[in-house]
Amino acid sequence: MPSGISETLEALPFAPSSETLERAIALLARNPQAGGAVDAALRREALALYASLPAPGMRPARGWKHDYDKLRYDDLVWTSDRRTVETAPFGAPAAHADPEADRPALETANAAGIVHLGATLLEPEDGAPTDPRVVVLPLSDALRAHGELVASAAHAAVDWRADKFAALATAFQNCGAFVYVPDGVQLDAPVQLVFASTEAQDEAVFPHVVVVLGKNARATVLERHVGQGDAFVCGIVEARLGDGAQLDYAVVQQASEAARLFFARGARCGRDARMGWHLAELGGTLARTVLGAQLGEPGARAETSALFFNTGMQHVDLTSGADHIVGPTTSDTVVRSAATDRGQGRYVGNIVIRPKAHGSDASLRDDALILGARAHVDSIPALEIAANDVRAFHGATVGSLDEDALFYAGSRGIARPQALRLITLGFFEPVVARFPSEALRDEVRTALDHKIDDATEIDG
Amino acid sequence: MSSTRGLIARDLRVAVESKEILKGIDLTVEPGRVHALMGPNGSGKSTLAFTLAGHPGYEVLSGSASLDGEELLELAPDKRAKAGLFLSFQYPAAIPGVTVANFLRTARQSVRPGDLTPAKFRKLVFDKLDTLDMDPAFLGRYVNDGFSGGEKKRLEMLQMAIIAPKYAILDETDSGLDVDALQSVGKSVNALRASEEGRDIGFLVITHYPRILRHIEADVVHIMIDGRIVKTGGPELAEEIEREGYDAVRDASTSSAQAEAAAARA
Repeated sequence: MPSGISETLEALPFAPSSETLERAIALLARNPQAGGAVDAALRREALALYASLPAPGMRPARGWKHDYDKLRYDDLVWTSDRRTVETAPFGAPAAHADPEADRPALETANAAGIVHLGATLLEPEDGAPTDPRVVVLPLSDALRAHGELVASAAHAAVDWRADKFAALATAFQNCGAFVYVPDGVQLDAPVQLVFASTEAQDEAVFPHVVVVLGKNARATVLERHVGQGDAFVCGIVEARLGDGAQLDYAVVQQASEAARLFFARGARCGRDARMGWHLAELGGTLARTVLGAQLGEPGARAETSALFFNTGMQHVDLTSGADHIVGPTTSDTVVRSAATDRGQGRYVGNIVIRPKAHGSDASLRDDALILGARAHVDSIPALEIAANDVRAFHGATVGSLDEDALFYAGSRGIARPQALRLITLGFFEPVVARFPSEALRDEVRTALDHKIDDATEIDG
Repeated sequence: MSSTRGLIARDLRVAVESKEILKGIDLTVEPGRVHALMGPNGSGKSTLAFTLAGHPGYEVLSGSASLDGEELLELAPDKRAKAGLFLSFQYPAAIPGVTVANFLRTARQSVRPGDLTPAKFRKLVFDKLDTLDMDPAFLGRYVNDGFSGGEKKRLEMLQMAIIAPKYAILDETDSGLDVDALQSVGKSVNALRASEEGRDIGFLVITHYPRILRHIEADVVHIMIDGRIVKTGGPELAEEIEREGYDAVRDASTSSAQAEAAAARA
């Protein structure tokens, strides 16, 4: 553990029950400095919805090991706390970093950042790096200091009342972050939000992240998941982009191989705003993610780039959505996935073009690479078009490695395992290339390279 | 070992999907020499190229192939390349997401590990690009992905120049090329042959049409028909094909085969 931190405040055994929720509400009431940022009535409503909402998604493919109605929460604890640490623990806190893992160096130039270990906010004594032009605060603090701003964006871009796990995240919210970039401010360095876990205590973590960009503001937010143990992380990320704003929100998920993650992430885009979602799901045993963009003002644009690479027993269930409410708006979605071993994947790509969205342009491209006989990826594009004079493209492939390309590389002296690595990494490149910085792109490439090492079955 | 120098096929018989395509090929390409292998479509020229390079879809029924004394047929494709063999593909595969620069570096590293510092490798690449009149922007593109026919062949020539093999098989490198691209291919082969590292390369230039031989001068010309080499001669043989087509050779070989058969019966 990082030195200089206090004793644990309180921790409850977690279960998605009213009893646990009441204890959690009481705990937060006693500790106003903790991470709570949802009022009690809303929490109770959310838990009731969680219980009544159906499990997301459709009937899973054969081989899918997780049943959303029968998730187990044994030995997880729920807490909400903050502690002071000596130095800013960006990335995985050193005590929890895996010395064996050759993790790439985290980007050091941060505009600002927030680090959580489980649901405990880690606050460096000397203060986190801060760009004075921006607000980056734990969500609970932001509610007190910038209540109206938070309220303008929270519970708006993700419809938590319609999503079982977003409802659960609302009910048990125990940490979070708020990022505000005022009108006209353009950040060069990313704001980093780190969610780390430790083997010492398996936690149920329910973050709520709210990002607000003013008019013509420009920023990159980097959300990381790292660590060890059997964490259960279920969160909501919401972004509101003012007119002309540009937000790149990148997620590099390298949680422990036993971790389970559920995220609903949504953005509302102003006129001529551009939202970039960049998602790399690399860790965890189960990761369910919903990415959405509401294009409700003319000129708004959503760019969604997502990749996953399932090895071992990993399951990834990814849904992306672009909602063209008015026209002309554009969306461009590129998804690349690979699976081997007993890896299972499901991608659902939703494009909705509503009746008023004349002149809109939507493109959805999704390709999956199957590297092992027992692996499986489903690809389900769904386009719903209610306006005329729009352009909508979708294409999906599920395939195996190109033997012609392997032979070609072999004829250049490149041995089969290396050729396979080269071709597989190349397969992901259209998504990697859209990540917002070269440092991040290289980090994702390195992580993918390590995934190939992790795979036990990679050549059929 | 001097007696076994060369890219050598002996009585090579090869089937594709159980159909015998090569019916006993004997061929020796010596270091530093250019052999042209001509023949009509379907005569088995590309089958020979793929068999020598180790394509898994080609079944060797009998015979042998060696490169400077090293048996090729038991080797995986990459081992053959490491032994010194290069195949310029008629239809090179695309490798999306892998840049030409990365691919060239990986190929050179595989065939000749650690022989060049990154700076020297970079210089080599730019020198070869210059020789081939190729835009350095090529390096940032993905291997053969969205390339025109001419661009693909230029990239094959660039790879050949960078790898500098002992023996190079050019499989219909002229097909689908316009005059400019063909000239560029000829120029690149001749530039390589004139260079220190390229002067001992033995070439097997596979072609349907004689026109590439106006750009790459052959020392020996072989005519392949129906899985056999039916005639071997000097450059004048290519001119003969240009004048009279393959039918003349085919008829001659058929009648000579008939004569042999008749002699055997007698």
